[in-house]
Amino acid sequence: MTSPAPSRADDSRPVDWGVWGECLVPVGTAQADLKAELRRHIGATPSWVGRISACPWLGFTCADFMSNATLHVDAQLWQLIGLVVSRDNSCRYCYGIQRATLKIFGHPEEYLARLERDFQSVALSPQARAALTFARKISRADPRPSADDFAGLARVGFSRTDVAEIAFTAASSVFMNRIATILALPLEPLEAFTESWFFRLIRPLMVLQSKTVMRLQGAPRLAAPPPAPPGAPGTAVLAALAESPAAAVLRRGLDRAWSSDLLPRRTKALMAAVIAKALGCTNGEAEARTLLGAEGLTSVDVDEILANLGSAKLDARDARLVPFARDTVRYQAPAIQLRAREATVGLSPGEILEAVGVAALMNAVSRLSVLLEAC
Amino acid sequence: MLALAIGSAMAALMAIAAALATRRRAVAVEARLATASRDLEAIQQAFSRFAPAAVVEDIVTQGFSTQSEKKEVTILFADVKGFTPLAERLDPAVLVRVLNGYFAGMSRAIERHSGHVSKFIGDGILAVFGALESNPWQANDAVHAALAMRSALADYNASLRAQELPALAIGIGIHRGTVVAGVIGSADLVEYGLIGAAVNTTARVEKLTRTHDVDILVTAAVQEVLDRRFQLRAMAAATLRGISEPVQTYAVDGFEAATPRPP
Repeated sequence: MTSPAPSRADDSRPVDWGVWGECLVPVGTAQADLKAELRRHIGATPSWVGRISACPWLGFTCADFMSNATLHVDAQLWQLIGLVVSRDNSCRYCYGIQRATLKIFGHPEEYLARLERDFQSVALSPQARAALTFARKISRADPRPSADDFAGLARVGFSRTDVAEIAFTAASSVFMNRIATILALPLEPLEAFTESWFFRLIRPLMVLQSKTVMRLQGAPRLAAPPPAPPGAPGTAVLAALAESPAAAVLRRGLDRAWSSDLLPRRTKALMAAVIAKALGCTNGEAEARTLLGAEGLTSVDVDEILANLGSAKLDARDARLVPFARDTVRYQAPAIQLRAREATVGLSPGEILEAVGVAALMNAVSRLSVLLEAC
Repeated sequence: MLALAIGSAMAALMAIAAALATRRRAVAVEARLATASRDLEAIQQAFSRFAPAAVVEDIVTQGFSTQSEKKEVTILFADVKGFTPLAERLDPAVLVRVLNGYFAGMSRAIERHSGHVSKFIGDGILAVFGALESNPWQANDAVHAALAMRSALADYNASLRAQELPALAIGIGIHRGTVVAGVIGSADLVEYGLIGAAVNTTARVEKLTRTHDVDILVTAAVQEVLDRRFQLRAMAAATLRGISEPVQTYAVDGFEAATPRPP
């Protein structure tokens, strides 16, 4: 799954993204092991690492999702999917990083601009074009990809595992886009740096560094995911990814999120149920209902909460986080940042990070569940 | 030999000049294409607020869209009560300013609750919930939007009174039903529109707000799926033009988060 070399052309003006708000959480002390993990995955420590220190699992999960965990999606396609999905989700942070990375690897400005505006008009292989179209459908999830979409991918030569990994790559972007956008993570200087003359001078060194990092990481290895702890969601989706190392990445993320005690499991299961319902993910909603039953909620209570995104029986925190979970499914960047600020009033930085992390993760999982329906 | 050398040099210079001119033309064409592309993208972003993403992409890539579908939506129609005499009293520039301020506040309330303003019809607003994106909570969203519009109008009226301008009163009708949604119109003017009896019913329910002397009315189709924490009052069934059976409507008094009404 590779793309042909782009043609050379002039620069074009960047897109107008509107206002990117202030970060929702303050800066804390970043853990040394998290910094080391990020350097291992991406060769650098992002500027936001101190801001998510109050919720360690989120940082490690971001590190996992920020590198290519697939066997069959090559580096270029992985970056292109990240760019297209990030732009579709209006994630200024992720879009900037993906763009800068593609420029480091030699793609000219005009090619990137045309790709962003309409990748159908850019010279891509049929496989890359089909993968990008599918990735965007995974991200938008309205309508959810159908059996016809999967058949189209098979026609251009993708296997079932290839399709699962393309879906996972899109879902990884869905996750990271929400972390970056909802939290309003400070933008990295990398993109601005790639506009400078100094970048052009040292680009070969940066390419060498990036390739060295990837070589030291090694290719992702297919390993059996660890046993699932009781009560964690996503079992069926993980089974659909079983032939890919991405399954272990997703498993680790879900297990970390569900094991953390910053927020009660009930709150997390409620958010998962709402997101699944919003995305028409019947499997996800059923799983979440089972989790809520284990937390002592009756089916009548759950019916009422899901029908109305609220109930007189919810505590003040859940009464705000339940409708907020729905808002994370589809949004405009400034509006969701404002909503996040309203919904998390009175929460500690750790609770805020966990709420956003769970919402982002369940948005990814509910979109991945199309693999159960049509693949 | 010298003539040959001079001739060759001149030929080379002419070739270089031609290449430079070609390059300048190519740069100019690319700049124009880039400008056109940015303009198109701005239009695309603006239009995406009025039509589903797939429809917008159809129009951008092929100039038209044949996508249409039946879907269940919740429709909200709002109208300014007593607008005609108001329009006759106010200076045109003032009227437009007042109306635009009203539209801005109402649109914000609608969009804040996941609705989309489909069109402005004179002083009327047609908004729809669940048309551009699937929305299992569209009925609740619509009624929350109506309450937000009530609150926003109260604030707006305070600012109008401070300017010694007359306050506005509105009626809002909300109904839920199946419509056909798609790109409709002619070659010169198209819109992403909704077709169906539900649209007309909503407009007629809004008119009933004057009969019942309330500001927000919902139909039974909305009431039956509504959060029980909305405080409703049943109105007398009324006959609407074009509908044989009397229509039951409910006035919306408010929303009480802590206390659901009895089932």
